Amino acid sequence: MKPAPFAYCRPDSVAEAVEVLASSESSRVLAGGQSLIPAMNFRLTDVSVLVDIRAIAGLDSVTVDADGVTVGAAATQSRVLADAGAARAVPGLRAALRHVGHLQIRNRGTVCGSLAHADPAAELPALAVATDARIRVTGPGGRREIAARDFFCGPFWTALEDGELVTEAWFPATRPDSVTVVDELARRAGDFAVAGLVAMIDASDGAVRTSRLVGFGVGGAPLRLGSAEAALAGWSAGRPTADIEQAAAADCADAFDDIHATSWYRREAVAALVLRAARTALAAKEQL
Amino acid sequence: MTSEALTEVAVGITVNGRLSRHRVPARLLLSDYIRDVAGLTGTHVGCEHGYCGSCTVIVDGDAVRSCLMLAAQADGAEIRTVEDLADSATGALSPMQQAFHDHHALQCGFCTAGFLMTLESVDPAEWRSPERTVELLSGNLCRCTGYQNITEAVAAAWSTNHEEGGTQHG
Amino acid sequence: MSLDIDPRIRHRTRHIGRSVPRREDRGPLTGASRYVADIKIGGMLEAAFVRSVEAHARIVSIDTSQAEALDGVEAVFVAADLADVKSFPDYISYIGSVRQRPLASDRVRYVGAAYAAVVASDRYVAEDAAALVAAGTVYEPLAAVADLDQAMAPDAVRLFDHWDSNISVDVNPSRPEVDRAFAEADHTFAETYTSQRQTGLPMETRGVVADPSDGNLTVWTSTQSPHMVRTAVALMLGVPEPQVRVIHPTVGGGFGTKTHTYPEDVVVPWMARRLGRPVRWIEDRAENLVASAHAREQRHDVEVAYDDDGTIRAVRCTSILDMGSGEIFMPGTAPVFVTNACITGGYDFANMAARTVGVVTNKTPSGAYRGFGIPEGAFVMERIIDRVARLTGTDRVELRRRMLLRPGQTPYVMHGGGRLDSGSHRQSFEQALPDALAALARARARHAGDDDVRVGVGYCNYVEPTSPSYHLTTGHWGGHDSATVRVDPDGSVRVAAGLSAMGQGAETVAAQLAADALGVLPEQVTVVLGDTERAPYGLGSWGSRGAMMLAGGVLMASERLMDKARRIAAHLLEADDSDIVLTDGAFHVAGSPAPSVSWAEVGTTAWVRTVDLPEGVEAGLETSGFYHPENLKHHLDADGRINAAASWANGTHIAIVSVRVSTGEVSVEDYIVVHDCGTVINPALVDGQVHGGVVQGLAGALYEHFQYDPDTAQPKFSSFMDYLVPTCAETPPMTVGHRESPPPDQPLGVKGCGEGGTVGPPAAVAGAVSDALADWDIDLTACPVTPVAVRAAVRAAETAGRGPRGSR
Repeated sequence: MKPAPFAYCRPDSVAEAVEVLASSESSRVLAGGQSLIPAMNFRLTDVSVLVDIRAIAGLDSVTVDADGVTVGAAATQSRVLADAGAARAVPGLRAALRHVGHLQIRNRGTVCGSLAHADPAAELPALAVATDARIRVTGPGGRREIAARDFFCGPFWTALEDGELVTEAWFPATRPDSVTVVDELARRAGDFAVAGLVAMIDASDGAVRTSRLVGFGVGGAPLRLGSAEAALAGWSAGRPTADIEQAAAADCADAFDDIHATSWYRREAVAALVLRAARTALAAKEQL
Repeated sequence: MTSEALTEVAVGITVNGRLSRHRVPARLLLSDYIRDVAGLTGTHVGCEHGYCGSCTVIVDGDAVRSCLMLAAQADGAEIRTVEDLADSATGALSPMQQAFHDHHALQCGFCTAGFLMTLESVDPAEWRSPERTVELLSGNLCRCTGYQNITEAVAAAWSTNHEEGGTQHG
Repeated sequence: MSLDIDPRIRHRTRHIGRSVPRREDRGPLTGASRYVADIKIGGMLEAAFVRSVEAHARIVSIDTSQAEALDGVEAVFVAADLADVKSFPDYISYIGSVRQRPLASDRVRYVGAAYAAVVASDRYVAEDAAALVAAGTVYEPLAAVADLDQAMAPDAVRLFDHWDSNISVDVNPSRPEVDRAFAEADHTFAETYTSQRQTGLPMETRGVVADPSDGNLTVWTSTQSPHMVRTAVALMLGVPEPQVRVIHPTVGGGFGTKTHTYPEDVVVPWMARRLGRPVRWIEDRAENLVASAHAREQRHDVEVAYDDDGTIRAVRCTSILDMGSGEIFMPGTAPVFVTNACITGGYDFANMAARTVGVVTNKTPSGAYRGFGIPEGAFVMERIIDRVARLTGTDRVELRRRMLLRPGQTPYVMHGGGRLDSGSHRQSFEQALPDALAALARARARHAGDDDVRVGVGYCNYVEPTSPSYHLTTGHWGGHDSATVRVDPDGSVRVAAGLSAMGQGAETVAAQLAADALGVLPEQVTVVLGDTERAPYGLGSWGSRGAMMLAGGVLMASERLMDKARRIAAHLLEADDSDIVLTDGAFHVAGSPAPSVSWAEVGTTAWVRTVDLPEGVEAGLETSGFYHPENLKHHLDADGRINAAASWANGTHIAIVSVRVSTGEVSVEDYIVVHDCGTVINPALVDGQVHGGVVQGLAGALYEHFQYDPDTAQPKFSSFMDYLVPTCAETPPMTVGHRESPPPDQPLGVKGCGEGGTVGPPAAVAGAVSDALADWDIDLTACPVTPVAVRAAVRAAETAGRGPRGSR
């Protein structure tokens, strides 16, 4: 399990990185490498040039302001997880990152790398969609910004074009009265989710008012659960749940089968997670 | 380094306090650099896809999977391996090594270095509670011990009763 | 053979029975150990094997030219190059011969089968070349046989053209008394139970280094059986056996998978000889998952006859093993025989008819994994008991109490001839129950008020055959093991044994045994294991035999050495042999501590100042023992029965689980073990064996499962993301209690303890989950108990109108 030969470079600037990325076929960005290097060790990924972006000044920054959190492309998951300001502004960041891999993985893996990798079972892409994050990229054609909902196209497939590099992701600050829940069913600690949910729930007087529900591990990309959001509106603990469960399952009609779970299990699991999140949010509100 | 893409790269890597400079293939994994170039075989390779944790080493203070890093990425880094844990002058085991011995927390020993380096990299104050300890250790697989003696060893080594750099075993 | 052991060392002496700290620890703790991948020899080349990506195919052609042209490649070998190498022997006459070649030649029968090998300057280049060989391989795919039903279908594609079906073995002894019981019983039911494909998965993969220098062949291999590897390598390569030296360096776990002699153990030494250079091959994890032995895939078609009061009258069981392609040495058929032999556990229940079938499929060959068929049988028996209890309204605990062997019932002969020489079958269960019920109450309290969580308890009472016959498994070797004990001129003791060490603490145990046998401290004992040049011929460590065989061999050799030492000491003290005793490492006349002579004086006399030896005493102070347990048999009796183990350990496992009904998640909240392996030599090590075994068992109960495509027999796994080895976060707290029922005819009363931990969990967990979901009348028949499996059972029950009213 040794990688096939490739060339390696470590540019000092985004411009240089983009130049190399654009000039060679099957070039890949190396940030944390925690998904890319295993794929290369299995010789599943054909790479001619690896562009290591960790020497680019400023790319590892995490900035927090009133509007939100900006995470640079080289900022590790551990660094973001440890940032108290980021956790206050966007609670979902910490909630999601606690589910990501293990300490050793988070110490190298990056938030932006996870977004660019677009594993359908990963937490951070779903968080990005749920929070309306924006992905900022630089390419041969200059800079552009892509809304998270437009960024994820399918399994390991994003709106990035050839030669484009994610430079940062911006997560808007979560409104203080909204409760974020990141929950998942995984076979073992640290595993990718069999089914997962990012829920941002507004509640008052013991009932859910509005919610933003994004499933992961149930489709090719983060999946907005529109029917479940509608069904959940006005729900309070003790009320019937069948409509919500059916709506969530319907939202996940195309959930996939793999060795860890069946499609129908994933639909049921998301429904259970939606209810669990709603109960958690209502309980959290009650405690405020 | 510039943006020139090379299949062989020059690296200067400090391992256990000793800086070496080598030209290595761009594709050389850090785990293989440590074992074959630096000649320190206490770091074991168990899966080469970042799951088992056997190859965990400390890079610039952080525990990482050395099979998921290229030697090229470690250029300029300071690395610590299991060979750096015992007292080099006296051979005395570190408190955590001693606790592993006292609690029979290893059998075949293949995974042990990875556990020790993960533990060495963190602040006990942050990870001492049983739940946090389990969370921490869940990144390392052990096939022999069933984990119970490992968690007991960690609890003993991190017990606040003898926190001041000591161990009950003297 | 019975041993005349000094009564002072029979039990609870200075070191036996104590948790003497392990001498094996310092190496792994400091990184100083040398595992096979750590061996480096000047001029060494590295190998990679090219493995089939087809489940079943003819190999039409292999183009190696591109690989050979690659910079750094020394050689590429295919099967034809190894024509002078003999095939693996087919020693067992009653199973289908597979005529296994060291490299697959014209036909591949599973994904992962090695059909070519590359030798290069380093592993990176070797893998580049292997990829080119793979790309240059032309296959003619054949229909694949993916499971038992496909294999046994009348029109099945055959794996071996010289067989007339895919059935390797089918043994069906007649049991008329069982037929009578079926005719008389109140009720019967039929059920099919299954056990899924798993593997031992040591953290260290396999690896082989071969050095052909100086006209000898030195082979380092990560094996549990170095002498057996030596015999196979010498035979297959045609090298005189004295010129082959096999060493196992520090071994990073084995769990049965490393008992086999694999193609790489033969091909790597062959390549080293051919090239005249040292060659190293280290299995990577991707190879390990398809090229090291799998195990445990069995189906059990069961019929049960029972009465209204819960009495189980008789059981018929056809146990069918999916052997994979069967191309493995030693063959992988034995576990299913063990399943049937052990199925009735510690229960007083001999009315059993067991048919044993082994079938080949296009999957990785099945072989040994810790437990070796025992967990599969225990699962069947405990599920039967729970079913009968439920069908008849009998209490599950009471039914087990009624059936368990009581004190005084041993020796007890099981249905297949297994002779339970001793044990605490009923007592272990009784000892475990109070802890289990307390844990159950705690779990219920923890989840009180949560309608979505159900709590249950499950039981397993098992027996563990220890130090088994290897003749039944290999058709060739028997069941002895060996030790040589030497006292050097300085009085230091050296013990060399044919056993192996792969983490279980065998060196520490050997030192404890020798220390007490010779009246010295363990620190004064040097232990040599796993080197065919330095240790006597032994069969290695497997089958829960290490402690027993070490005890037998070391004590036997020590007794012989003591006889001689006493004669020398008596001569030096000018006293009579029979008056000499040994106290604190000094020989003296009984009753008068002075004068005395030390081990150093005796050793010096024996080796150096031989002029001081008594008349008629040969120089030297080294003795050997080749121990064979008294009751271990290797051949079936006239009724087809056999006691194929030297002794039988036993234990009780009880699992407390919670099940989240909405998601099917199972959490093992507590796990209680009472374990009886006779005299405990080192309690800490025995606990360690139990802990590790239980977690492997839980892995099988809940997580690990090699899945194959049902049409193509392609593996649906390739990494640790697919084969779910549990982490500490999936591991419950364990309580381990002990009992000691020493077998009367074994030295020190020792039984083995290596495998028992793996036996109970599938049965206990499936029983506990079924109990938790009793309101749905769920009765699980298979592992792993995954969330999907639980939800499927709940859905099926609710569709059929079963389930608690108003639930969810």
